[in-house]
Amino acid sequence: MVTRTVVVANPLGMHARAAARFVDAACRFTSQIRVGRDPRVMDGKSVLGLLLLAAARGTALTISAEGADEAEAVDVLCRLVEQGFGEP
Amino acid sequence: MMRRFKGLGVSPGFAAGRAILLRSRAERLQFHLPERDIEAEVDRLTRARERVRAQLRDIKARIERTAGADRAYLFDAQLLMLDDPLLVSRALTFIREDHLNADWALQRAGDELAAVFDGAEDPYLRERKGDMFDVVGRLRGSLRARGPGADSLPTSDPGPYVLIADDLPPSIAAQVDWTRVLGFATDTGSWTYHTAILARSLGVPAVAGLEEASSRIAPGMMVVVDGDAGEIVADPLPELLSRMPRRRPLAIGQGAADDRAPVTRDGRRIRLEANLELLVEMPAVRAQGAEGIGLYRTEYLRGAGPLAAVSESQQFEVYRTLLEQMAPAPVTIRTFDIDEEQAGCWGPPGRLGLHALRLSLSRRDLFVRQLRALVRAARHGSLRIMFPFVSGVQEVREARQILQEVIEEIRAAGGAIPSIPVGVMVEVPSAVLTADLLAREVDFFSIGTNDLIQYCLAVDRTNARLAEFYEPLDPAILRAIRLVARAGRRQRVPVSLCGEMASNPILLPLLIGIGITEFSMAPGSLAQARRIIRAVRYDELRQIAAGAMHGMPARQTERRLTEYIRARASADHAAADERHDA
Repeated sequence: MVTRTVVVANPLGMHARAAARFVDAACRFTSQIRVGRDPRVMDGKSVLGLLLLAAARGTALTISAEGADEAEAVDVLCRLVEQGFGEP
Repeated sequence: MMRRFKGLGVSPGFAAGRAILLRSRAERLQFHLPERDIEAEVDRLTRARERVRAQLRDIKARIERTAGADRAYLFDAQLLMLDDPLLVSRALTFIREDHLNADWALQRAGDELAAVFDGAEDPYLRERKGDMFDVVGRLRGSLRARGPGADSLPTSDPGPYVLIADDLPPSIAAQVDWTRVLGFATDTGSWTYHTAILARSLGVPAVAGLEEASSRIAPGMMVVVDGDAGEIVADPLPELLSRMPRRRPLAIGQGAADDRAPVTRDGRRIRLEANLELLVEMPAVRAQGAEGIGLYRTEYLRGAGPLAAVSESQQFEVYRTLLEQMAPAPVTIRTFDIDEEQAGCWGPPGRLGLHALRLSLSRRDLFVRQLRALVRAARHGSLRIMFPFVSGVQEVREARQILQEVIEEIRAAGGAIPSIPVGVMVEVPSAVLTADLLAREVDFFSIGTNDLIQYCLAVDRTNARLAEFYEPLDPAILRAIRLVARAGRRQRVPVSLCGEMASNPILLPLLIGIGITEFSMAPGSLAQARRIIRAVRYDELRQIAAGAMHGMPARQTERRLTEYIRARASADHAAADERHDA
């Protein structure tokens, strides 16, 4: 299992569009993805779960993956969060 | 543990059986599935999910075209929710493991999520909860949309059962297979007149006004309905059950589907159209053989948001789809029937406030936007425009003037527009009394009996304690309907009736006797209406109607009609048996 912590960078936080982009990216990997915001841990392939983390800008998220492509998954997903979900 | 609920006995008799639940204004049906039906239910929900996926993709594509890709992203989130492990997959688990029916399973998954959303206390999240409920609503709508009744009410449950509902409007009652209902009970009492009349005519014991029974009784629980004492008992002691007399309900207006034209035995042709609220009901409307849409309620366009947010192009798309799908049959679209609060203005709510056409006339921006969408859609089918809650001639003239301006504007811009018949709802007593004057101003009338009864008899129909005063058989109501029918006939203005009275198997024949020949009702009621019309004679009903209008007590009229229809229905069966024997 690979785990890393990132900070939500975009102004609106993990809102609907951001969560949708995250799930889209997560579903491209076969690994099981978990996203945690203390004390809650959610399925990284669940848009509802991610929304429920209520992760505003500046929130620390712990992303972990377990499976064949775990290293690449964590890399890609962390980059997505750090780069503000590709939003301006 | 045995529990008693006190209510109002509306249909006498005594019955006991396992409960099935119909909840949330008859939109939520809860029951346990027998083992053999579980995979079929999983399959049903999976297919509903695919239909909703197609719907959402359509909407998203349309919004991308009209408002740009930027606004369409919310639908991405909704599309993802369809595959979310916390929603549909969770519901599928409930079906498999707890044997809940699909509707119930979805509701439970949604409620679980809602509880978490509520805990978050973030205003943004509260809105996302709305998105989630929207998806749940679409799924449930899709589960119900395929064939009214067949889908929403259990077909495989061997029954018979006791039906516990929070409300049981006639449109839903018409879909129930009453031969399998031992008794029923409802939380509300305000439906009494319609559904209680039905219950009495069917001989099904019923109790109303139980307030919260439907949330306290679990599906599958043993329940006794005591229509004489006006109470129900959940989890009764065995002694109570053993004292229970046996009975079998009779059915009226039930039997094999009949797609022959609705003509009375003495040759009076009746026209049957459907009321529509949501586009997803269209397949049901066509399957039930409606000759048109008699009432499309545009206020349902707004969903959960304010009407001011529904754009002209969004409306146009819906109207065009409706017209194209029904063409060449006519579609009567009623302009917004809402109050200020529902419109997103700051005024007070209520039907006696600035409401319906009055609101449209004062909020011209909203009205013109709607009329523009309607007029632009007109060439895609056979459109009729109807104004709601009209109180007199002046309002109609003003509304028609605005419509005319809209038509000219679009024509000037090069649009081809067919002629559009314009009509009004007759549901305010002042409109009834001036029906002869109104008839010169319009192309058709549609009588709305729900409001007509409450304003003629000065009874708030949402107040359960006044239920017994809300009486559709009151001579005043029957005379009001006759007045409108006559005014229409004299000026050659067609008169249709679109209230709940039309869905009632006892009241429908009476309305025919009064002289109404066109009805519009919930799609689920059409098959029953057609069977009843084919069993009755206009000349005989005219006699009964005359008696009712001359002050026969309401319960006596009801008994007379029940006996008449039973006799007619059994004559029908006998005739069918004879044919079979030969």
